[in-house]
Amino acid sequence: MDSALIPKGLKRCPTWQFLLGLGVVGVVLAWGIYAMLLCWFKGLNQTNMNDYYGFALWIWADLAVIALGGGAFFSGLLRYIIGKDELKAIINYAVVIGFICYTSALLILAIDVGQPLRGWFIFWHANVHSMLTEVAFCLSCYLGVLTIEYIPLILENRQLNKVSFFHHLAHNMHETMAVFAATGAFLSFFHQGSLGGVAGVLYGRPFAFREGLLIWPWTFFLFTWSAAAYGPCFTLFVTWITEKITRKKLVKDNVVELLAKISGWMIFTYTIAKICDTTRWANMLAPSLGQTLSNFYTNNAFYGYWILFSEVILGGLVPAIILISPTLRKRSTWRVTALFLAIMGICLNRWVMVLQVMAVPVMPFDQWVLYIPSWQEVATTILPVAYGIILIMISYRYLPIFPQEAELNPIAPNDVPVTHGDAAVAAEPATV
Amino acid sequence: MKVDRRSFLAFVIGGAAGTALSPLPWKLTDDSSIWTQMWPWTPVPPDGGVSFADTTCTLCPGGCGITVRKVDSRAVKIEGTKGHPVNDGGICMLGLSGLQLLYGPTRIKSPMKRVGKRGEGKWQRISWSEALGILAGKLGEIRNRHEAHTVAALSGADQGTVPALFKRFMTVYGSPNFICMPAFQETEALAVKTLFGASGRTGFDIENADYILSFGSGLVDGWRSPVRMIRAAGKWHPNGITVVQVEPRFSNTAAKATRWVPVAPGTEADLALGIAAILLSQGKASGSVADMLDQRHIMKKYAPEAVARTTGISVETLMDIADGFSRAQRPLALCGRGKAQNPESLRDTAAVYLLNLLVNNINQDGGMWLFREADDISWGLPQTDAMAVAGLRQPRFDGAGSQPYADAQYLAHHLADAITTTNSPYPLQVLLVAGANPCHTLHNAEAVKSAFSQVPFIVSFSSFWDETAQMADLLLPDHMYLERYADVPVTAGLTGQIIGLCKPVVSPQFNTRHLGQTLISLSRRMGKEISEAFPWDSYETCLRKTLSTQWETLMETGVWKSPKVKRIKGNLKSGNVDFPAALAEGDASAFPLMLIPYDSLSVAAGPVGSPPFMIKAVADTVIKGKDGFVEIHPRTAGELDLKEGSVATLTTPRGEARVRVHLSHGIQPGVIAMVSGLGHMAYDEFLAGKGVNVNALIGPVADPSSGHDVAWGIRARLSNA
Amino acid sequence: MKEERKQNPSMKYAMAIDLDRCTGCGACMVACMAENNVPFKADESNKLDSITWLRIYKLTNGKSYPDLDVCYLPRPCQHCEGHGGHSPCVSVCPATATDYSSETGIVSQIYTRCFGCRYCMAACPYHARYFNWWDPVWPEGMEKYLTPNVSPRMRGVVEKCSFCFHRYQLAKDAAYARGRTVVPEKDYQTACTQACPSGAIVFGDLNNPQHQVHQIVRPDPKNGNKSKNPRAFRLLERLGTNTKIYYLSSREWVRRAGDNYLQHEKTGAVPVPH
Repeated sequence: MDSALIPKGLKRCPTWQFLLGLGVVGVVLAWGIYAMLLCWFKGLNQTNMNDYYGFALWIWADLAVIALGGGAFFSGLLRYIIGKDELKAIINYAVVIGFICYTSALLILAIDVGQPLRGWFIFWHANVHSMLTEVAFCLSCYLGVLTIEYIPLILENRQLNKVSFFHHLAHNMHETMAVFAATGAFLSFFHQGSLGGVAGVLYGRPFAFREGLLIWPWTFFLFTWSAAAYGPCFTLFVTWITEKITRKKLVKDNVVELLAKISGWMIFTYTIAKICDTTRWANMLAPSLGQTLSNFYTNNAFYGYWILFSEVILGGLVPAIILISPTLRKRSTWRVTALFLAIMGICLNRWVMVLQVMAVPVMPFDQWVLYIPSWQEVATTILPVAYGIILIMISYRYLPIFPQEAELNPIAPNDVPVTHGDAAVAAEPATV
Repeated sequence: MKVDRRSFLAFVIGGAAGTALSPLPWKLTDDSSIWTQMWPWTPVPPDGGVSFADTTCTLCPGGCGITVRKVDSRAVKIEGTKGHPVNDGGICMLGLSGLQLLYGPTRIKSPMKRVGKRGEGKWQRISWSEALGILAGKLGEIRNRHEAHTVAALSGADQGTVPALFKRFMTVYGSPNFICMPAFQETEALAVKTLFGASGRTGFDIENADYILSFGSGLVDGWRSPVRMIRAAGKWHPNGITVVQVEPRFSNTAAKATRWVPVAPGTEADLALGIAAILLSQGKASGSVADMLDQRHIMKKYAPEAVARTTGISVETLMDIADGFSRAQRPLALCGRGKAQNPESLRDTAAVYLLNLLVNNINQDGGMWLFREADDISWGLPQTDAMAVAGLRQPRFDGAGSQPYADAQYLAHHLADAITTTNSPYPLQVLLVAGANPCHTLHNAEAVKSAFSQVPFIVSFSSFWDETAQMADLLLPDHMYLERYADVPVTAGLTGQIIGLCKPVVSPQFNTRHLGQTLISLSRRMGKEISEAFPWDSYETCLRKTLSTQWETLMETGVWKSPKVKRIKGNLKSGNVDFPAALAEGDASAFPLMLIPYDSLSVAAGPVGSPPFMIKAVADTVIKGKDGFVEIHPRTAGELDLKEGSVATLTTPRGEARVRVHLSHGIQPGVIAMVSGLGHMAYDEFLAGKGVNVNALIGPVADPSSGHDVAWGIRARLSNA
Repeated sequence: MKEERKQNPSMKYAMAIDLDRCTGCGACMVACMAENNVPFKADESNKLDSITWLRIYKLTNGKSYPDLDVCYLPRPCQHCEGHGGHSPCVSVCPATATDYSSETGIVSQIYTRCFGCRYCMAACPYHARYFNWWDPVWPEGMEKYLTPNVSPRMRGVVEKCSFCFHRYQLAKDAAYARGRTVVPEKDYQTACTQACPSGAIVFGDLNNPQHQVHQIVRPDPKNGNKSKNPRAFRLLERLGTNTKIYYLSSREWVRRAGDNYLQHEKTGAVPVPH
């Protein structure tokens, strides 16, 4: 039915299977949209946020997807600026994932604010001192860049590419992609950093507050660094999942291992920096404000030292060592475990920097406050995941995302589609 | 025209680009944000001319002067009146929330008659003429049957012109049954009469005392004139005043005091008499008083060791307090638990008055003052016809004034029993209720409510939909205080005699009528014999004529302070100052704990329910959701396997309730405390159904000396639910 | 703007709250609600979403019966000056919806500009900022008592104590009408100060030696505006929030509860960042 849109030389699952998949995820999407509409029309009383938890699950999800989407800018940087040409086999997918992450982030922000219709005030009445202003500007600009990076990919669709204008546009955009990659890296440096700054500048919250360099707290640099380090892990992890689902090899091992290795070293150096930062904070900054680590990790029902261990060791050092080690990273099980731990680690870091910040009491007579999100919050947080899966499904089906796919999955003679003019019909059900 | 793929795409992309470049999206974006800035469902208060109107707050007996800020005809804010002798600009939560009562949904908006079953809430709006017609017809019919005495009036106050009009109406009508709700003033009057043989009241010069020994008085928790007291308390620390707070629960007053002395509930008088015994034995007591007393009795019965055993206070502490109290230059002992809204036993009161006598502070700076009651209302006795005289000869329905309670003026807590028992002298036919909410504030409130359901005809003059109004057959709603004139004689422990003037600051918001006016109008419909006793054409005329000497000052300043006060000499009439104690109800083996009510400034416990602002200010350890809390010592809670916030069943000999527990080190082990004034079933969603009415769990306890209901607690049991 | 500042030396409105006098009666809290059209809802027992510009905290000394002690601490917005007007909340607001006034030292909040991101709430360690999770609804008829001086806030924006800024504006207008440029001390008082029966709250210009608040606080500009009054402390002073609410207490444990201290540190004896 839709075979005319499927890239030439690639095999895709039958339409019914595709639509069924879309339908299933679509139900989740609809649930999320329903919750989103509730939040917009009835207000944020639909959430379990409160005056202690002005930032909650959504902001965590926001920070997490942006960190995970960091694979796009960092792979771009490696491919176009540093010249790791092998990465062109995965860069398209990194862009798609990045695009999904960033659009999700903006969508979440649009639900999260109390007055979405006034959201543009952040640009119009911008306060240059606010980290959030920096985030908003860089985030929107970078989303523009991602869109520009995504467009040529779309234009490579078999039908669109037939339009000569689109064909040439895509070609020319590819040629100049280095410029956009550089811009993207620059913008990402700032918005990833300023997202770190969001928590780090809170000098009223000793748990989050970090002194720093120039106008930025250390968390600024830690966030940029960690996004660059962990983002590719997410790209690799999603690639692995995609390979499992499509039951195809889509990216060559050398590409995966190269990105994994780079990621491993990045995580390693980041973790060292994070440990230094934590040590300095625990021994100098916090005590200068009259606090000790025990103020931050004891006397409550949830936040213990385990969270620090899980983030820094389990989600930092362990995956770093696995990915650095050539023997370990070559083994798929170890590699994927490391990727999973890394993703857990970065998500935990963002969780801590959002939710634990809210939970820790600052006034000595105040108390720890824990919070459990409402279903509306959970649904709207899952909404972008469903949206992401759908966009990946569509992109994968109709666009030549993986340049090495045809080479790695040659179509057997009896699989060659019979062509009727423009239309192509798959001869038999392919893999899912 | 053939639309091919290319031109279609060009159209779509071009159209999108064109729209984006046009002003349209930008204008829409701007307009939508402007719309959010003035959502039609977010109210915009209209502007207008600002003015201020002074009046007197009557939401509690405190007598504060208030200044109402108005915008055009709307009252928008209540503030304390600067320079007012009671509160000088200060104000309390309840006073500040008055406008929520004025404009709130709890007002009764018109006269109504019941059409459904009693308490069912089905009403029909009627005109004032019809309402008065119904009442006059009913009362006339009863009177013509020579049964005028079977009509009773229950009033929230007995001072001022409105209660006086009510009393007068009852007199000329022919009923001896003008009953006032239980009040601490009765105890005070009784104690003054018993100890000094004169009718009068006490005042306390708290502002000038330098050592205050308080027996459970919630001096900053709403005691008598709350704002005056907090003003005084503000100076305790800067002036180095010693305040000793004796009570089983650590109240805000205890927090403010120099020292908290936890005492076994109900043994305050023992402590006072124990201190008296020490003063006597050490020869530190005022000679003239000591000579009058049966010293040996006091010193023997209240020897320190015995008192220490009874009260749970060490001998050392007893000596310490006695020492401090006797050494102070201007010591002052106070009584009246919590807000002092309920009567207390003669024993409790007399013991504390005795302490003041012993340190010789009567009518002194910083001491206890004794006055004769001012009588500003001089209407003369009304003419009563034969029917009235016959009715007035009947015994009172509540049994006050005759044996065994010859000294009691009113015994409202007898109402429920008298209604339900077959032994009452006669059946009650009509009950008129004004300024009171007996179905919530009388002890054993549920029994009161069910007794009321047996009264053939109940008339409520309440301005609000309170529990009692819901039980009524006929509603004749009074103006609320911001809409009416009234004289407000302030007693409340003040050292002067003050009358505040209540003036309308806004026009009546609903179809309500001043109670005084209603009574005058009613008399007009009841025939010459009755109407002749009301020679005024309106309540306003009545008020103006009655207070003619004070009127000019009142209109000008809103308050009148009596220039001459008749003092009573502090001479003991008899040597006996030790009266029998009133014990808590319940058997200690079945009910191992002691439940005591406590008063809080953020919960109104009187006839008016707490407005939303106050409920908002209540701590989450007092109300959580709909649940009310009891305070309990962690050890006692531990023994019962209860944790912070646990749900428990509280049982007393009078009732049972679901409560949550709040663990506190500010309460004696074995004692549990619950705030007064919650557990309303009436009023609005902001108040109804929240917490538990402690008055439903405590039954009345008669003071052996007076018969007043002086219950201060009840034995109780708490079990894990 | 600069011209005006030349004429009027900059003011710094501040408050001194004497906890030795405060009885915890709550009049300040309700006076604030009534003055500023603060909404209320059917259930306000969840204090985590209950809008109380001025909240009263109950502090305890942590001791057991019968040695416990309690102190009430009224907490309005602390109107932090931070360093040079960079209060924790003002510097983070992305839309300049909250600002530090160099004329009055008051941290303002523009409800119509706020788009509800709540970053300021995350920044404020005092929890002085409140979000309108619900549309404000007054029972029928009750909206009559709303004052036109303070606009009711719509759903989805943050609100907080403004030091009754509308009263400053009225007082300033009145002063100008009389040909004066300085607002007399008694002409500008907040609703809570006015209502407080115990006289615990004193409000005025910290920069004006004639004002009572200055005389009580005796600020030390060389030491981050720390008070020279030995009874005085500020909440979380060592964070450098440089607040303008000074609390006074003769009780050491109360003063210590005002900030975080390491075990060995002496109450009050820590440097104030400036």
